[in-house]
Amino acid sequence: MKDVAFVVPVYNEAQVIGTVIKAIQAVTPHVVCVNDGSTDASAAEILKAGAYLVDHPINMGQGAALQTGIEFARLLPGVERFVTFDADGQHVIDDAIRMLTTLEVGDLDIVLGSRFLGASVGAPRLRKALLRLAVRFSNVTSGIRLTDAHNGLRAFNRHVADTIEITAPDMTHASEIIELIARNGYRYREVPVTIHYTAYSVSKGQAGMNAVNIAVDTLLRKVGRS
Amino acid sequence: MIAVQLLLVGAFLGLFFLALRSRTAHGVSASKKLGFLLFMLLVVVAVLSPALVSDVANLVGVGRGTDLVLYLLAVVVCFYVVNDYLRAQDSRAQLHKLARRIAVLEALERYGIAASHERDSEVVDEVPDPHGTTDGDRDDA
Repeated sequence: MKDVAFVVPVYNEAQVIGTVIKAIQAVTPHVVCVNDGSTDASAAEILKAGAYLVDHPINMGQGAALQTGIEFARLLPGVERFVTFDADGQHVIDDAIRMLTTLEVGDLDIVLGSRFLGASVGAPRLRKALLRLAVRFSNVTSGIRLTDAHNGLRAFNRHVADTIEITAPDMTHASEIIELIARNGYRYREVPVTIHYTAYSVSKGQAGMNAVNIAVDTLLRKVGRS
Repeated sequence: MIAVQLLLVGAFLGLFFLALRSRTAHGVSASKKLGFLLFMLLVVVAVLSPALVSDVANLVGVGRGTDLVLYLLAVVVCFYVVNDYLRAQDSRAQLHKLARRIAVLEALERYGIAASHERDSEVVDEVPDPHGTTDGDRDDA
C-alpha cells in the first residue's frame, strides 16, 4: 500500500513509538510522525525506526500535530490515502487496513473507527460512560450521528486531506473533525475497531475533567462562527 | 474637589492618554476607541459627582450608587476576560501556523521533498516567489 500515509501524532511516547512504527511499516513505507515537542527521546526513536519526523518546535497539542502531519503527508509523492493512528499502541493495523478497503469500496471520503461498534479490550467503566456522553454531545452539536466521537483511528482520501483544516489544538479536535465532516459534506462511515486499553495507554489517556474543556470549546466554536 | 477625586481623575486621565499614545493603539478599531473614551468620561463624571450616580442607580432600581458601579464593573470585567480569551486564541492560532510551517519546511528539506505543488491558500500571506518554487530556496543575495 504505497499510496497510503499514516499520520501519527507523538508526544512523549519514546517507550512504544518504535514498535508502533515498525508495525505500520509492514503495510506502507510512509509513516509520518509529528513529534509535538516531546521532552523524552521520542524524536530519536522516530528517526531510528526510519519514519518521517516532522518536529514541532513547541508543544501545540494533538489536533495541531494531526494537521501538521496531514499537511506534510499530502506532499509525499504518490500518496492518495491517509490514516490517522495513535502513537500509544492502542490501535490495530488490521483495523486500519479494513478501513482503507471500506474507503475504496464504499466510495467514501472518510472512514471513522468506532470502539462501540467493535470490541474494547479492558476499557475502564468510567471512561466508557464518559465516552458515551461525549457521543451524545457531539451528535447534538454537529448534527452527525456517530457511535464514537473521540476515536483517533480514521482513514480518508486526498479530498479530505486537501480540504481539512483542524484549528482546535488540543483534544477538542476530535469534535471539530466531526463538525468539519458535516460542514464540508464529506461522505463518511463508521466501522467497528478494537482498542487495546493497555495499562500504558490508559495512563496516557485523557483525564475526565478534560471533557469539560472539550464541551466548552465546542460550544464556543459554535458561537464564534455564527 | 477632595483629594480622592483629584487622585482618581488624575489616574484615569493619565491612563487614557497612555492608552491612546501607545503604538499598539493604531490597530484598535475606532469604535473601540470611542467606547473607551466614553467609558473614561463616565468614570470621571462618577468620581466628581457621586450624587448623580446615586440618582441614576435609583432610576434603574438599584439602591445605592456604589452598587450600580459594582454591577457595571462586574460586566466590564467579564467583557474584558472574554475578549482577552478570544484574543489569546487568535494569537495562539497564528503562532501554531507559524510553527507548523517551520516544522513542515524543515521536514521537507530533511527528506529532500519538493513543495512546489503545495497549495498555500491557508498559509500566511506570502509574497509570490518570482521563480515559482518555495522549496528549500535560500537567499543568495
